[in-house]
Amino acid sequence: MAELNADFVTKTVLPRVLKAAVWGTFTFVIVYYVPMMLIPKDIPQSMFPFDYTAQLFEFALISVFFAVAGQLFSRTVIGCGFGIARALVVIAYFFIVSDGGVFSITLPVSEVTVNVMVDISILLLMIVSVNLLSIAKNLFEAISLLNENSTRIDFK
Amino acid sequence: MKIAIRMLSIATVILWIVILFFSVTAVYSVMNVGVSVGEVQMLPSSKGVTFSLPFSITNDGYYDLADLNLTTRITEPNGTVLDVTETIVPSIPKGTDINASHTIPIDLESILSLDHISLLLNDSSFNVEVFAGLNFARAVPVQLATNVTLPWGAPLANFAVGAISVSPYNDTHSEASIPVSFENHAMLDIAGSLKLEVYNNSDEQIASGITAINVQSQQSYVDSILVYPRLYDVSKLTGSGRIHMLFETPMFTVEWWEPYG
Repeated sequence: MAELNADFVTKTVLPRVLKAAVWGTFTFVIVYYVPMMLIPKDIPQSMFPFDYTAQLFEFALISVFFAVAGQLFSRTVIGCGFGIARALVVIAYFFIVSDGGVFSITLPVSEVTVNVMVDISILLLMIVSVNLLSIAKNLFEAISLLNENSTRIDFK
Repeated sequence: MKIAIRMLSIATVILWIVILFFSVTAVYSVMNVGVSVGEVQMLPSSKGVTFSLPFSITNDGYYDLADLNLTTRITEPNGTVLDVTETIVPSIPKGTDINASHTIPIDLESILSLDHISLLLNDSSFNVEVFAGLNFARAVPVQLATNVTLPWGAPLANFAVGAISVSPYNDTHSEASIPVSFENHAMLDIAGSLKLEVYNNSDEQIASGITAINVQSQQSYVDSILVYPRLYDVSKLTGSGRIHMLFETPMFTVEWWEPYG
């Protein structure tokens, strides 16, 4: 029994944990570190309708959490559940952050204030679409996994 | 099932790449759009003055800018709309720059019509609302709005008529001197003729006269206008009454009533 557990840990758990750690780090670098490097430092914070460093960090945390959970439970129904949850959370997150797709900010320019409104509804629609596709993919994966398990014949 | 899952995975990856590519190139393009606004020029026109605001937009980004719309709306403090002007640039393709100017014609005659006579005699301020909109990459509409307050200097500010003094002129007429003073607070020099008709408190016309007026911007006018009523009419002149003023310039004509006495 102890041998079986050690075998399970070394052959299944350890690779998954390592893979999850690599994916988590990679996701953090792509989602947080690279954008922070690309955003020019001389842009004043008032140009953004929100605290972009905090929002980016929040998004990075969400992404890293789901990347790690997805890798730990990959090829399982729970992993598919995390995939669907990630898509729903990302849709909700972008809806909340973008205020429904319309940003409004007030910029002080010399003695007057300028109200700026940017309508990114199309971009939001694209993000929603890609996440809906992701939900569909995870649902198919879950059905496929359940189908495989129910039709597998164990000859042991 | 496996093919469907693979196709959905590929579609998801492609869409994410498209979103990321568009987002990054859009931010880069916005940073490479240059806007410069020149100094406001004031040009005389047949009906008043024309303000011209030259501006140029350099689009060095990856996407076209479309439907650039610059609108200004000038209103009085009470909300009356005096002018709405719109400048439209249909398209600014990538890699090009455009030079345009937003022209606001000020029709002094309509502004200084009877409804707005107070603008002729009293300093005021105008509220200028500026709206600008464009369509970035024909996908992301952007709108800007601001408003500024512009002071208005009345061309006949502090207009006052003093006490009328009458002296003999000849056997048939007397000479009445009507002191008139005002300050030209407008940004334009005013030149024209001021015609006045004196009425007593029974609304009977006593005399009329006309004088040429030429007052530079920010200068005062203090003078006495001489009119020559008949001796018979002078007897009807009362201590108080009103004067009908008619001020004609090449740009506008205004008339109003001014009390005296």
